[in-house]
Amino acid sequence: MASITIKDMTVSYNKGKTLVLDNLSLKVEDGEFCVFLGPSGCGKTTAMHCIAGLLKPQGGEIYFGDKLVTAPRKGVFEQPQERNIAMVFQEYALYPHMTVRQNMSFALETMKTPKDEIARRVEAMADMLAITPLLDRRPAQLSGGQRQRVALGRAMVRDANVFMLDEPLGNLDAKLREQVRYELKKIQRKLGITTVYVTHDQTEAMTMADHIVLMNGGHIVQEGTPSDLYDHPVNLFAAIFLGTPKINQFDCVVTKKNGAWFFEHEYFTLPVPQDMVECVKPYEGKVIILGIRPSDLVLVEGSGEGCITGVVDGVEPLGEAYLVYLKVGEQVIVFKYNGEQDSFSGQLNLRPNAAKIHLFDKDTENRINA
Amino acid sequence: MAAVEIAKTMAAPEKKKTMEAPVKEKVPVHMTILRVVYYAIMIVTVLLYLLPFWTTVTTSLKTNNEAMTTNPLVFGSELSVEGYVESFEELSESLVTSLLVTLGGAFGSMALGSVCAYGLSKFRFKFDGVFFLLLSAAIYLPYQAILVPLFKTVSSLGLYDSVWGLIIIHSIYGMPMCMSMFRGFYADIPDALIKQAMVDGNGPWQIYWKIVLPNTTIATVTVLVFQCTSVWNELLFAMTMAGSWTTPATLALNQMVGSLSANFSTQMAGSIWLTLPVLVLYMFLGKYLIRGYMAGAVTAS
Repeated sequence: MASITIKDMTVSYNKGKTLVLDNLSLKVEDGEFCVFLGPSGCGKTTAMHCIAGLLKPQGGEIYFGDKLVTAPRKGVFEQPQERNIAMVFQEYALYPHMTVRQNMSFALETMKTPKDEIARRVEAMADMLAITPLLDRRPAQLSGGQRQRVALGRAMVRDANVFMLDEPLGNLDAKLREQVRYELKKIQRKLGITTVYVTHDQTEAMTMADHIVLMNGGHIVQEGTPSDLYDHPVNLFAAIFLGTPKINQFDCVVTKKNGAWFFEHEYFTLPVPQDMVECVKPYEGKVIILGIRPSDLVLVEGSGEGCITGVVDGVEPLGEAYLVYLKVGEQVIVFKYNGEQDSFSGQLNLRPNAAKIHLFDKDTENRINA
Repeated sequence: MAAVEIAKTMAAPEKKKTMEAPVKEKVPVHMTILRVVYYAIMIVTVLLYLLPFWTTVTTSLKTNNEAMTTNPLVFGSELSVEGYVESFEELSESLVTSLLVTLGGAFGSMALGSVCAYGLSKFRFKFDGVFFLLLSAAIYLPYQAILVPLFKTVSSLGLYDSVWGLIIIHSIYGMPMCMSMFRGFYADIPDALIKQAMVDGNGPWQIYWKIVLPNTTIATVTVLVFQCTSVWNELLFAMTMAGSWTTPATLALNQMVGSLSANFSTQMAGSIWLTLPVLVLYMFLGKYLIRGYMAGAVTAS
């Protein structure tokens, strides 16, 4: 087991013309569950392949613990087979000509582990993942979910430095995905193994990660705990990428009337909460983006100051809550309702939770409020 | 017996007709006529292809006298294995030579081609495209074009007229074709499988032995049959790079035609001896072959 430290890693194709990773630096602590999150093409898989040694970056350094494993400028590059990493690919990549048992034993056999030790560990892992009855089958005879478990088992049976998963749940159906998500996190915590997990699914990131690294266009946008990213997105991209349904955005003008500060939207006016006044002062008369998550809106009786008024456009019952779509002018916003009411029509008045308002600069899209 | 055989083939279209009879009422007349024409073309083509082989079989089973005097399409008055015995005596040594050259040449070219294909399909390295282009070009290289320099090289290496010389020549000139065939199969092995094996602690050679070869047995059999057949049937190199001490069977047969020009029966029997190993190979490995030709599209996973 080991921590992973990446310093100024750069990956480019076409002789530097296409920059895939741009001076990436980050640290994954020992035993941490770290998720690389981002849209496709953001470089998250590339970063993982660099850590695994499947790809040689053009610049930068990678350390496992204190050991330098990649440093192209210094001519250091440890081959993937020497790094002692375990990996699960999205397509599982089970060896088709081997049984499940042989698949799981393969890496241990390569490392010349004693036979009885291999047998013991494979059986224990199979037991943990409930795949013992499948041990003598071949991958072609397994269902998608079973293959996925075998791939996980094959990786976890090893005493690896780092455990890497590249969208391992991508091929599973929704129900199975939830179950495996939970089990995976449980096993990871039990084994205490440093884990790097790549996904574009923010739900997976939020539910499993100790540490999320949100990436876009080869850069790290923001990193931190799931609640850091959810509650304090550093820019509009982070705010939109995390949370379902998506955060509501309003273009508002910051105005000052009779000494009081307001966000003025075409269809409503909200007072600026006291603790945000300092931040918005430089934006007087300018347009900013106001972001409010669907769950941070509260339904209120009667109209009045400080409310957003919209006309019901559609309702999606979730069972435990409702997603209500409202039209505010031309814009459609979403509101998550947890109360007793079960039918929605006509006009509704919503009051935002003042503490959970996110403000972004219109031009830079960076966060304004603290 | 020949008459029976021919009668059978003649009867074939008749049979077809009777079998189609119940359907006939539903099918329009012009379709039926078209079908008859198709079958007629097919049967004529097949007959034309088989005719030489057929006469080879009939002639090989006649005495040398009868071979000159009777109709080549029918068997003689009595079946004789005289030709087979005589030609085997003549050819036995060269058949062994051919066997050695074929096994050596096929193994050599397959080993080289397979490793090359693995490297070119699964790894990126500097100038890999150029290497592939050069090797592909070598497939279409006419052997006549390199015959003289090759002869000089072979004789200066002291390999002229030896089994080893032929094995090395076939290994090298068969390699590009083997590479190209293997490459198609290896390209279908998912890259994730190779990466997975790497992460599981294996170097490139271990991956080749433990993952690539076990998953491409069909490819190996397909190339094996192809390569054995082409080396076994090869005449040009046999004629130019060997001939006095080392005589592959194709060359020996060719020499028989010159020296024993009257003994048709012996020559035809010799041809049969030469065809036999190829037929046996196809008979045993044919089922893999059909799968192999199509398996190019099916991935290893």
